[in-house]
Order: sequence, then C-alpha cells, then structure tokens
Amino acid sequence: MRLHGEARRLARSGIACALLVAFAACSNNPYSESDDDRKIRYKTLPGPTKTLDPAVSYSSLEHQITANVYETLLEYHYLKRPYTLMPGLAVAVPERQTREGGRVAYRFDLREGMLFQNDPSFALDGEGRTTRTIVAADVAFELMRIADPAVTSPVIATFAKIEGLREFSERLQALRDENPEFGALRIDQQYARAGGIEGVRLHGDFGLEIVLIEPYPQILYWFAMPFTTPVPWEAVVYYDGQEGRPFFKDHPVGCGPFEVSEFDKQSKIVMTRNENWYGARHPEWKAPGTVYPSEGEEIDREMGRLDPAYVGRSLPLLDGVELRLEKEHIPAFNKFLQGYYDASGIVHESFDKIVQEGRLSPEMSERGMKLEKSVDPDIYYIGFNMNDPVIGAPAGARGRKLRQAMSLAIDVVEFNRVFNNGRGVPAQSPIPPGIYGYDPDYRNPYRQLDLPRAQALLEAAGYPGGIDPDTGKPLRLSFDLGDTSTAGRLRFQFFVDQWAKLGIDVEIAATNYNKFRQKVKEGAYQIFMWGWIADYPDPENFLFLLWGTMAQANSGGPNTANFDDPEFNRLFEEMKGLDNGPERLAIIRRIRKLLEEERPWIELYHHESYALYHSWMKNVKPAGLSLPAAKYVDIDPVERKRLREEWNKPILWPAYLGLVLAGLIIIPGVVTFLRERQ
Amino acid sequence: MLAYIVRRTAYGFVVVLGVLLLLFALFFLYAEPIEMARRAVGEKAPPEVLEQWVVNHGYDKPTWWNAESPADTMLVDHFRSMLTFDFGRSDADDSPILERIRTGMGPSLALTLPIFTFGVLLGVGLSLFVAYFRETYIDRMGVVLCVLGMSLSILLYIIGGQFLIGKTLRWFPISGFDTSPAVVLRFLALPVLVGLVEGLGGSVRFYRTVFIEETGRDYVRTARAKGCGDGRIMARHVLHNAMIPILTRVVVSIPFLFTGSLLLESFFGIPGLGSMMVDAIHGNDFATLRAMVYIGALLFIVAQILTDIAYTLVDPRVRLS
Repeated sequence: MRLHGEARRLARSGIACALLVAFAACSNNPYSESDDDRKIRYKTLPGPTKTLDPAVSYSSLEHQITANVYETLLEYHYLKRPYTLMPGLAVAVPERQTREGGRVAYRFDLREGMLFQNDPSFALDGEGRTTRTIVAADVAFELMRIADPAVTSPVIATFAKIEGLREFSERLQALRDENPEFGALRIDQQYARAGGIEGVRLHGDFGLEIVLIEPYPQILYWFAMPFTTPVPWEAVVYYDGQEGRPFFKDHPVGCGPFEVSEFDKQSKIVMTRNENWYGARHPEWKAPGTVYPSEGEEIDREMGRLDPAYVGRSLPLLDGVELRLEKEHIPAFNKFLQGYYDASGIVHESFDKIVQEGRLSPEMSERGMKLEKSVDPDIYYIGFNMNDPVIGAPAGARGRKLRQAMSLAIDVVEFNRVFNNGRGVPAQSPIPPGIYGYDPDYRNPYRQLDLPRAQALLEAAGYPGGIDPDTGKPLRLSFDLGDTSTAGRLRFQFFVDQWAKLGIDVEIAATNYNKFRQKVKEGAYQIFMWGWIADYPDPENFLFLLWGTMAQANSGGPNTANFDDPEFNRLFEEMKGLDNGPERLAIIRRIRKLLEEERPWIELYHHESYALYHSWMKNVKPAGLSLPAAKYVDIDPVERKRLREEWNKPILWPAYLGLVLAGLIIIPGVVTFLRERQ
Repeated sequence: MLAYIVRRTAYGFVVVLGVLLLLFALFFLYAEPIEMARRAVGEKAPPEVLEQWVVNHGYDKPTWWNAESPADTMLVDHFRSMLTFDFGRSDADDSPILERIRTGMGPSLALTLPIFTFGVLLGVGLSLFVAYFRETYIDRMGVVLCVLGMSLSILLYIIGGQFLIGKTLRWFPISGFDTSPAVVLRFLALPVLVGLVEGLGGSVRFYRTVFIEETGRDYVRTARAKGCGDGRIMARHVLHNAMIPILTRVVVSIPFLFTGSLLLESFFGIPGLGSMMVDAIHGNDFATLRAMVYIGALLFIVAQILTDIAYTLVDPRVRLS
C-alpha cells in the first residue's frame, strides 16, 4: 500500500516535470537555433520542384534554384531598367555578325580558368577528380540536350532557329530507333556520333559560335537563362537514378554562386556558397556579375540599393539560401510575420491590414517592414476567337465594331479594385511597362470606358441595343473559362455584367481546364481570358501572341485568338529581326495602331506585385523576370535574431489555466467515484 | 481458420482485379494524355514537345486492344505495373513512384501513429469515464462536447489551431517539417494535437454508446450482485466484452495510417503520402494517383481480413470457417 502511494507520488511528480519541460521547450522557431547567426536567407517554395534540369525547367518556382546554381554566359544588370544584358561567363556580350543566305552568327568567348562546383560525378574524368574547367563544349552539350527528343525541352522550337538543330534532333532519334545499341551508349558519345549541331561551332576550348538561320536578336536573352548554361556531361551520365544515385533533374551540378547542398523536394532545399564559382576564385577579375553594381535607377538610390558600403563588394553576400515548402499561403504569411521568412507577398485575406491607401499600415511600419511595388512584365487580356463567324474576322466590319464596342464597355480599374485589391496597371496595348516599345503616355481610344460610344458602335454593327436582328433577342455570346470555382466565375461575371449594360447576353461556359484546352484546340469558343508572362524583355515576346504563324488553329501555337492579319504578320516579321531603335519603334507604333482598330484582344491589365521585406534584408530589388538575385541580397542576422526573439515569446498562462480547468472538471468526478466505492 | 484466410485472400484478389479495372476505366478514359503533358512540361511548351512527352510516357499506345500486338496496350501495362508493384515514374516530375511512397510513409506514420495511438487510448479512457458517470453532469457535459467536436469541420481545427497555438500563443511552429531530431517533435506537436482533438469527439461518443450498451447486460448485473466494484466491472468486464466493435473501428482505420492525412499534411506542410496525393490531384499526376488508390484498396482488404482474425482472439465464440 505504501509502495502504491509512493508510485503515485512519483507518477504525479513525473507528469508535473514532463509538463514543465514541455512548456519550457515550447518554441515556434522552425529552424535549428545553430543557424541563427548565419547569413541564411529563408524563402518559401509554394510547391515541390518538378525538375531542376536546366534544359527542361521552365517555371519561376524552379528558377529560384536553377538561376542561382547555373551561371549563364550573359546575365541581366541587377538594377538597371529597362533590363540590360551584361557579360556573365562570357567575356563580352556578342555582336551580331551577318552571314550569307540571310543567316546571322554570334560569337561568345568564355572566360578561361572557370570551374564547375565540386561533385563526385567528375570522377568519371579520372579517379579522385571532383571538378574540371568549364569549356565551350559544355554549352554545346547543353544545346544538344535541348535538341534531344528524349529530354523533352519546352524550348526546342525557339532554339530550332540555330542552324542544323532540328536536323540533329531527327538524326539522333533515327539512330536510336534503328539501333538499340546506340541508345545504350553514353549520352555525350551518342551526341558525337549523331554529328553535333551544324550551327554550334567551337573555336578552341573557349570560343563558341552560334549560327542562326534567320535574324533573331532575342537569342541573346536566351543566353541569360539557365537553358544555355554549361552542363558537364559527367553529371548527366552519373546521376541516372541507379544504385541509389538521384536523377540529374534532382541533383544540379552547375557553376553558379551557389550549389544545392541539401535536396528534399518535399520539405526543403538548401543552397550554400559554391567555392568554385568564378567570382569567388577570381575576385581580381572584377567581372560585372561578381561585384555589387555601382549604377542603377534613381529609385535604387532612394531605397538604399546603391549604398557605398555595398558598391563594388564581391558577391555573393549571403552564406546560403534555404527554401521551405509552404503549400498554403496563410501559414506561410503568418510565419513571415513572425520573422521566420525574410520576405513575402501579401495574402488577399490580410491585404487591408497590411496596406492602407497604397502604403504600409502603421502597425507594419512599426515593425520596420518595407513595402516594394513593381509592375510585372505581363499582360492579362480578354481574347476573341477571330475564326468565329459572329465575333471574328469572317464577320468583317460588323465583327470589328462589335469587338470595339465590347472593349469600350470594360472598366478595368473597377475590376482591379474589386478583385486585385486595386493592384494592376490598366493595359493599353500588349506591351507592358519595362519592355521596349511601352509608352506610358499612350491611351488606346478603345480602352477607355465609354458606354455611349460603345452603344453607337453596337448599333453601327447591326445590333441596336444589343439586339440580334436574326432572333429579335439580345445577342448571345459565349465566354469560355477553364475554371469551375466560384471565385473564378465571379471574376468572369464582372465582365458579363459590363457587357449586359450594352444589352449583350454573354453566357459563361465554365468547364475544367482540360475541357477548356480541348475547346481551344477545336476552335469551339468565342471569348476567353488569358495572360502571358514575359520570357525575356522584348516586345517580340508579347506581339508574337498575335502572329498568324502562331495561331492555335494553324499550328497549335499560343495565338489563341487565331488573329491572322496579313499586315500585322508583315510588320511583326519585320520588327522581330530588328535591334531596338527608331525604325523598330516606328513599326511597333504601326502594330499598336492596327491592334487598336482590329481588337482581337481587350487588353486588361499588367499585374502589380506588392512585396514585403523585413528590416534586416538589404538590397532587394523586385524583378518581374527571374534573375539570379540571391547573390546581391544581404541579411543582418543579429537584427533578425533580436527581433525574432522579441516577436516570438511563448504565452504559457493559457496552458496552466487549461490544466486547472481540467482538474476542476475531473477531480469532483474522481471524488464521487471514490465516495461511491466506499 | 487457414482455409478461411485462403478463401478470403482469394476473394480479395478478385476484388483487387475489379479495383484495377475500375481504376483504369476512371483514369484513362478521363485523362487526356496531351493535357497531362501540358501540366508536366509547362503551359508554354510547343505541341511537338507535348507529343514527345506522350510517347516517352507510353500514353500513345492503344487503350484497350491492339490487334498487332495484344500485350502492347495501356490496359496490359496498367495491370502489369500494378500487380508487380512496379509503379513506374510520376507523370508530374518523372520521379520513381515507389521511392516516393517509401520516403513519404515515414512522415505520414510520424503524424498518424501518435494520433491513432493516443486517439484510441484517450477515446477509450474518456468514454469509459463518461460511461461510468452516465446520467450525471460529467456524462452530459461529455456528450455535449463530443457533439460539438464532431460538428466542426477539420479545417476549422486546423486554421484555429494554427492561429491560436502557432500564431497567438507561439508554442509550436505554425507549419513545416524537418527530419532533424532536434526539431521534428516541434513540428509534429501541433498537427498531432489538432488531429487528436478533431477525432476525439466522434470516438468518445461511439465508444460511450458501446460501453453503455454493455453495462446494461446481465453479466454486469451478476458481477455487481457478486460484489464486484464498478471500476473493476468497467475496466475488466465491460471493456473486454466491447472489444468487437472497438476492434472493427480500430483495425479498419489502420490502412489510413499509411496513406496519411490529406488535409493535415497539406496544411502543416508534412511531406507524407497524404500531401503527395494532394499534389498528384493538383498536378494531373495519374500515375501516382492510381498507385496510391491501388495501395489504399490493398491495405483495406488486408485490414478486413485482419479484423476477422482479431475477432477470434477477443471473442472465443467467434469461429472462422
């Protein structure tokens, strides 16, 4: 009996001790405390990466990693706008060289003495080797990977402008089909036997010439993207998913300022400094991409991004970057507010609490937070199927007037106020701010809200008051969307309501995205809404969405409006081969005028991003394009630690109160039980 | 009993074949390979790349029947890959599905096992407690709390838990996961607590009903007449005799421990199999989805057989024949 009592006392004190320890160990810090003093940038990853293979990866999510791990021959200046190319691994930005038959060439010269990151795959070159020198053949190898049908690179059509790339692709496939043994050869040997790409020529170890079948100045932008990074064949061969080795797509081996040191795509990806990066090994070169820039915009000076303490400093400034998977945006945002993420977008639900009258709320300002606004290089638009007999080109002037009237009825400022928290710049043409050809003073006469003019145009089109004379009822059109959610429907209903003011009856045909794509493929749609985000900062990347060659009906291309106007096609083809200058600008203005009248699109808005940063983050510059920005950013870990501790002291009294309340409920019951037993 | 197990296993195999056929019909008649390709390769990929993806993934083969080569159809491939557990690669990111299942099972079990174990212990313990005090304020309060607990959506528990415990009281991280032993418990504490509280209402109410029904039986009255104490009656006799419904409920939920919790994992960022299912649904990853549905069906059939066997262990009157 005494022993029993002793045991009970021990159990009681044990539970009490466990509770005390549990409460004392309470912490909402999601990181190991040992990282507190290091310059690690913590970022969110909204979903798992699909592939980090630079020939395939084409998402901004993955670009956060690939852009920092795979250095490119050229890169964008971090601060200058409009976006400006500067040398990266190449010694200089190449000039266009004209060749016979309308072909053009670009000659890149790589810096000598640069190394890949350390990796076991280089043992394929010789036992004990952990790296090797980067040569021009590594870029050629990557271009051959883009052409390889087995790789399924999404940019093969763009690179098909390189002479002989398409033929190389076909030769390679034919050899694999003819002879299974060929497919078993090492990948670099397969490429060598297939004869390489004619328009990719090596000049010694470090010279690379690219010959294009037609003028395409935009090709240089592609050399600032990871698609064209040097890739070591050893890594592609070694990381084959066999014998416990990961696949190459999950194990990047690059030559950028950072390398992936921990990869768990379902949880976190850690990047740390690459000691072999050319900027780290050769700071004396003072290469443009290896030191903090000294030039920028006036806003950069105002925002402290041209601080003399940073100008000319060797990069990178961080020790590493840690990306944590956060699929749900509300928990991610709350962790940002707790200081566990360094930067964040603003969740719709908290927008009014964070931003008031376009500025940071006093509560957030007190916490030292900074708000950065930037207009993204994108366009959101309503498109008309130009093959449709009622609303498209077959309807001639009648259809044109109908499109013009519908364009005049859309109030995009109100749309942005209701659905985008007021964010977004009303679009006047397909070309967004920051892209050559954008004119801030231009006002599209058909993109101003003007209902009387719209009604007059509708009448001129033969639909007085929106009535279709064939049926005697309001003109009935279909607005197709690939989103069956209530939120999606509400957005579309906004436009339908605006057109209803003209008397037009637009029916929303909501299907799932797959069905919608099928309808687009079959041309069974009239009106749709879509968006496009720039791949590179050139008007060609927006205007090609209306080029007849790219029409969905002709080639399955991204011209979903099926706009195929001979004059537009002629002007576009002329414009795309020109360098920026007065001649190009004049053509862009003629294209703009043509689109103004033809109205294959109702241009809606260019998205405006609002980003929040904590006070400990330095040198952040929002960029609509994916840039290798991590090397420029700095963090003050001491300030971060201090504020995190201040903001995250656990509140324990409710736990004690809960225990007391539980006791108050249970003890009378136990007492009753004991009394009844007696 | 052996004959019974063999017979049930044979029935189970037939059910599995039916499940596989249904799976094939559901997924391959619904899914458009070209759209799967678009989701996998990207919205901007040209048609030729999408077509190449379809060929590379074997979705260009005839669906049901190939006169030239009967074994070379998607139907045969489907049955072959499922029955041999060679699930192939994910449609979304080409990663080996079996490997992903293997790595995802750990985090899923780390979450579901504590919820299951503590849930059963607490559920049975609390229901014995309220059943003992039936018709008192403790019982009534218990029933009200249980009904209240069952009426609320799990989303409310998740968001409320994250807001109250993670954000306001700052006891544990709001979400996330890390396999590092130094912090893993910190990440699991909140989702386990939420899962536990969310399931408690339903289980206490169920077990209480079972126990109250048992306490009205003759053997309880006899035990009381013989002078056996109420505590002893509840803990030894009533609990023992109520094991059949308890086992039914407990064993049937075991398969779900392996397949994880879709919402908890997704909201708390736990990289388990539930989270993998959500990703697969969002990403048109039919290869992963059908593998997971197949494994779920298999585990369920196994659990059914185990439940029957467990009956014989807790109740000598049950004979499997």
